[in-house]
Formats: sequence, C-alpha cells, structure tokens
Amino acid sequence: MTKRIVINPVTRISGFMEIDATIDNNAVTDVKTEGLLFRGFEKMLEGRNPFDAVYFTQRICGICSTAHSVAATMALESAMGIVPGEQGRYLRDILHGCEFLQNHIRHFYQYTIPDFVRLPDKYPLYVTEHNDFRLPEGKNENIVKNYFLSLDISRSAHEMLAVLGGKAPHNHGVFIGGITTQATTDKIIKIKSILLSIRQFIENRMIPDAYTIAGYYKDYFKNGRGYGNLLSYGCFNKYTELGTLYVDPLVYTQGNISVFNPDEITQEIDYSWYKSQTNEYKPTGATAEADMDKSKAYSWVKAPRYRGIPYEVGPLARQWLSGEYRNGISTMDRTIARVLEARKIAEVMGILIENLIPGVSVQKQYTIPDASEGAGLIDTTRGALGHWLKIENGNISRYQLITPSGWNLSARGNNNLRGTAEQALMNTKITDFDNPVELGRIIRSFDPCVSCATHVYSMGKCVKTIQVMP
Amino acid sequence: MNKTKPCPEYTARLETARELLNRVREEINKGKLIRQNLVWLELTGCSGNIISLLNGSNPDFKYLISQMTNFMYDNSLMAAEGEKAMEQLMGIYGKEYILAVEGAVATKNNGMYNIIGRWKGKPVTALNVIKMFGEKASHVIALGACASHGGVSAAKPNPSDSVGVQSILKRKVIKLPGCPCHPDWFMGTLAHILLYGEPELDNKDRPVLFYSTLIHDRCPRRSYFDKGIFAQKLGEKTCMFKLGCRGPVTYIDCPIRKWNQYVNWPIEDDTPCIGCAQFGFPDKMEPFITYNTTREVKE
Repeated sequence: MTKRIVINPVTRISGFMEIDATIDNNAVTDVKTEGLLFRGFEKMLEGRNPFDAVYFTQRICGICSTAHSVAATMALESAMGIVPGEQGRYLRDILHGCEFLQNHIRHFYQYTIPDFVRLPDKYPLYVTEHNDFRLPEGKNENIVKNYFLSLDISRSAHEMLAVLGGKAPHNHGVFIGGITTQATTDKIIKIKSILLSIRQFIENRMIPDAYTIAGYYKDYFKNGRGYGNLLSYGCFNKYTELGTLYVDPLVYTQGNISVFNPDEITQEIDYSWYKSQTNEYKPTGATAEADMDKSKAYSWVKAPRYRGIPYEVGPLARQWLSGEYRNGISTMDRTIARVLEARKIAEVMGILIENLIPGVSVQKQYTIPDASEGAGLIDTTRGALGHWLKIENGNISRYQLITPSGWNLSARGNNNLRGTAEQALMNTKITDFDNPVELGRIIRSFDPCVSCATHVYSMGKCVKTIQVMP
Repeated sequence: MNKTKPCPEYTARLETARELLNRVREEINKGKLIRQNLVWLELTGCSGNIISLLNGSNPDFKYLISQMTNFMYDNSLMAAEGEKAMEQLMGIYGKEYILAVEGAVATKNNGMYNIIGRWKGKPVTALNVIKMFGEKASHVIALGACASHGGVSAAKPNPSDSVGVQSILKRKVIKLPGCPCHPDWFMGTLAHILLYGEPELDNKDRPVLFYSTLIHDRCPRRSYFDKGIFAQKLGEKTCMFKLGCRGPVTYIDCPIRKWNQYVNWPIEDDTPCIGCAQFGFPDKMEPFITYNTTREVKE
C-alpha cells in the first residue's frame, strides 16, 4: 500500500517548509523537502552601498543574523584587501560565539525537546497529539524544568552579544576590521560572568538532558544518516598566535578527510525552478534566472554541491572533522553533537576573552573601491555559510549567498542525487501514519532555517495540492 | 483604575512595560481580568521578532504564556506540527483573540510566495491567513518593520510584492515598527490592551508610550551635535550624524530603554542609528554607513 504524508507547517524551525513523503510498507521510498518563503535578498542587494550589506543581510534570518553580518563583513574585507588584526578577529569571533550559544540552547530546548519530552499541556502552545513520549515521569519533569530555565540562559547569551554588539538579534557591532566598539574592562568582566553561568548550564543540564533523551530513543541513532559526507569552511581557526581553536576547512568523503577547496563549489539547478546558460554555475558567476516551466523542477532551493556531491554541514560535521565526536552520523548523533559543540564554543570563547586587550580600537576610515570582488566563507551555527559580492561603480552589482540550509535542505542536483536531508529521510520507518513524528524529528536534527535557504530571487508558481491518500 | 495620562518622559521610562504588567498580574489575581487568547502569526520575514520576544525579561516569555494570555499559536515554538498545528490555528477562528503579526504579507502570485501551512490539502498563504484572522481579531498588533510597513521584506525591487499588514486590512492595526521589535514595546502594548484597551496612538498608529520622542532628542551624544563635533569613523565617541546616523528622524525610546536586559544600544556601541524603527526602513534610511558626506537633516 502506498501512502503519501505531507507535513506543513514543519513547526519549530526558522521559516516555512513542507515535507512530502511517499511511504511503501511503512518506510519512506521517496521524499521532497520544499521551502515556502521567498523574499529575494540577492536581487534586493544589487545597487546598494556595499557597507550596508553587513546590516541588510542580517535581516535574512532573525535567529542567525550575526552569522550573516560576519560573512558579509568577510566578503567586504576580501573585496577591499583588508586583513583584520588579531584583536579584531577575537572580538568578532566572541560575538559570533554568543550567537552559537543562543542558537544551540534555543534549538535544543525550544525546538528539539517538544519532540521527545511531554511539555505541560495546560499551555495551548505545548498541546500535541502524538504519544511517542518515553521518558519516565521524574526525568520528563526534570527536563521540563530545564526547558523553562533555558529561556533565561539563551536570553543571557543574547545579552552577552549585545554587550559588545549593541543589540541582538540584528547586531550593530560586527564590521570591517572586527567590531565597531572597544572591549573595556567592565565589558570583558560582564561577558566572562555571563559565559560562566552559560557554561555551567550546558555542562550540568543541557548535555545530561541530551544523553537522557538519547537513552530512551536509541532507535534514533539508527535513522536519519543521509550520505555521510561532511563539510566545513572552518571557524575559530588559523589565529596567528592561538592557532586553530576549533575546526579548519575540511571535507569528509567516503571515510576520508581532505582539505576544503572553495573553487569546487557549484550550484546545480536541474530540479530547481531556475535557468542559466548552464545548469551548473559558480557562486562567482552570474546568478540564475527564474524558470517555472521546468517540468521536473520541484523546489525553490537550489542544490549546492562540492565536486558535484551533496554534503551535510553543521555541528555534527564540525565535531566529526575536528575529531571531537565520532560516534556516528544519525538523528540523535546530530543532537548530541550540537550540545557538545555548545560546550566547545564556550571553551573557545573563554580562551579568546583571556587574550583580549582592553581599549583597542580596530576601526579606520574605509574607502569603497570602484570595482572589486570578494568572498566571505565561514562556518556558522547551522553550518557552512558563504557570501560572494561584486562591486561596480562603488555599489553592489552582484550578491550571491549559499547558506547552511541550502546545503542541508537542497533539492536534487543535476545527477539526480537527492539533497542531504532528503536522503536522511529515505527508508525511515513510520510507526503511526496519523502522527509521523519520525520525519519532523529527523528534519529538525539539521536545525533547518528556511528563511535562509530560500532567500533567492525567483518567480512564483502555484504549489500543487496533495492530500494524505490511501 | 488610574486613567490620567502621565507626562511622556515618565511613561516612556524603562519601567513602563513592567508596571503595566504588574497591574495585569494584580488584576488577574483579583479575578478582574480574563486571560485572552493570543495568536502569533509569522509571515514574510525572518522570525526575528519571536526571537526578540524570547529576549524579554520582567515580563518574560513564560509569564506571557502562563499568566497573561492563552498563547494559542506560533510556528516557531508550538509542539504540534503539520495538520495538527493547522487544526489548532483554525480552531480559534470564531472565538475572541488578540492577533500579533510579524513579517510582511507577500502578495505576488496571489500570495504563493509565502505559504504558512496546508489546510484540508490546500496551501494557506500569508495573504489568506491575515485576511481571515485579521478582520475578526479584537486587536491587531503588527510587530517589527515588516509587519508595520513592509520593512526589509518589501525592500526594492520588492521581488515578492510584500506589503505591511495595514495594506491588507480595513481596520485599525497597532504598529510597533523596529527591526526587530523590542520585547517591552510588545509586552507593554499588550498589557495596556488587557488593562485599559487600546493605548494612545500617534497619527501613524504607534503607541505614544514608546514612539513619542526622537532618538536625537534624548541622545547622550546630542551635545556633540550641537557643538558640531562629528565622528570621522566608527568607534569614535562623538556625534555620528555625518557617518549616516538616522537618530534625527527616528521616533523611538532606544536611548533610555536600550536592548537585551537594557545593557546596550547601537549608538553606545559606536555605530550610527540605521533608523530601523522608522517608517521607510530600509530604503529611505540608506546608506546606513557612509564616510564621505556632508549631509543635512531631512524629516
């Protein structure tokens, strides 16, 4: 018997998406992931002042806005031939680290926990009908307490960001050279104090909570694997004096780790609603135009590929590539890698803060070149993020973005290979057709951000209507 | 119940939202106030306003969902998903509720640029849902720049033909522009509605409680402006008017409220205000940063 399961909205992600799965003999035999939100940032950026990209691109996503300010700044620095000093990098990376912590804490508690832990259903927000809750009452209650406690902790991660970044989300601090302001002693102490309480929360509650859940949902170590190819652009790495504190740009393919080469990135559009001179193009070339008449296309998300192959990006990829965590590649491994990474990021931030020199100003008077090109490639919370920009007559003439959720949620590529998350959903066993909790749990383990993935310009098209059918 | 209006400086103080909330708490305890249903819709935007709401403190998010309102629906935080989530939303239709909206409304291609769910097999667009829930709500609160006037979602050339909520609805929409909306602006407005009804609004339907005074008029660097001492680059402590500061045209209380547990705000971070709380953001507020201008103030 063939069934079709459509989940829309996939809640507890950023943005809007639909999962459309075909089920035979209780297992997924075909699946599509579709992003359902379009604004068109790449087109909007054309003609604007290059400096504005730092602030403008943050509005792509309210949960990972700092990530975009960092990538946009790096793209500008590359176009302007500016190498930020070490103090500037430390400061910027501390801000970036604050966002990692805010994201990981919110994703684990606010987005993941409701899948595995029964929340108080006296609050309408937490009402759910599925019954696959396996934790004994005491353990469940304990994690519910931490769910509410985490609201204060994730909030304090944004407070820490605002100390040096003005406000969050959509900070004002990250800019060419590092950040706009100086770290004074009182600010350094304030950040240290907040960081300490966050570290204690991660160590004493978040990591134990993740392992508690893992203990009762062991089957989730066996699903959601995908291709098993991992990629990182690197982050918190190659400091002049401190070396690499986390992960270098690396890829993991068929069991082998090799050095990442940015020239090997392409975007494929065979199954996406776009046309260009070729169905495969580079992020430094012309952007593709919308073409909704392609019969086999089914998604607005393009297919970023490295040497023609889909890759998984994010915390598990980084933990694996840096050698911090190598248990496996699965739904639950992704969740554990995320909480372990939170601890790692807090540790790295501690080192960076220790190396700050108070009162150093890293700002200069900058001049925009008449014509130039640049790229900013950096790993952010959800994975590898790239901004590519071209400047002509002092303004932005082309802007291209490839986001982490572009990598993870991509459509099929030209060689018919499914996207990373699509592949992870394949062969999943569905226990209860009325409550197919497995699909949402697998998708959320990638921490998808559809606001980011479907930022690109595209013409609209009526989405087909599909119902669950026998 | 004290309905006299204190002076704007006083009402705009940091404690405003908190004091209103304390009154809400008292009234609830006395059994005088009934918790109302609250529906939070995320439309064409970045979900930055729900994230900002989670940053609220005294009152915080837990207080909002447990004491103040029956928080019925939010895409980012609710436990239900798919059809079950849509059932939860549609179940409120016909009942009394306050509607909070973040994000613009994409109108291109009959709204198909932003589908927020699927109901009985059919896609539900942002355009559908705002028409359906907007007209029937007791109050509509537009949070953030996108919901208030289109914001970044409607930035030129506006590929999705996004518009603010008011363009779709033929009714009063309370607007809380800002990118994102400060949690206090929303919590204070909501508390006012629960206690006294709609707060006093200016001619653009913004609560005067928060939007009555120019940033420029309360800027701690105002004396530098008056003396003509201007910063030449970011990071300097003098007036950033010539670097592009939009404080002189932006009505909001950032200088006294500040952000994220009230620790900081853009100007204290040595960057110009980019006018995110002003109508017309971003296009009319650009360039955000500039190093080569002798500019004049234009309202």
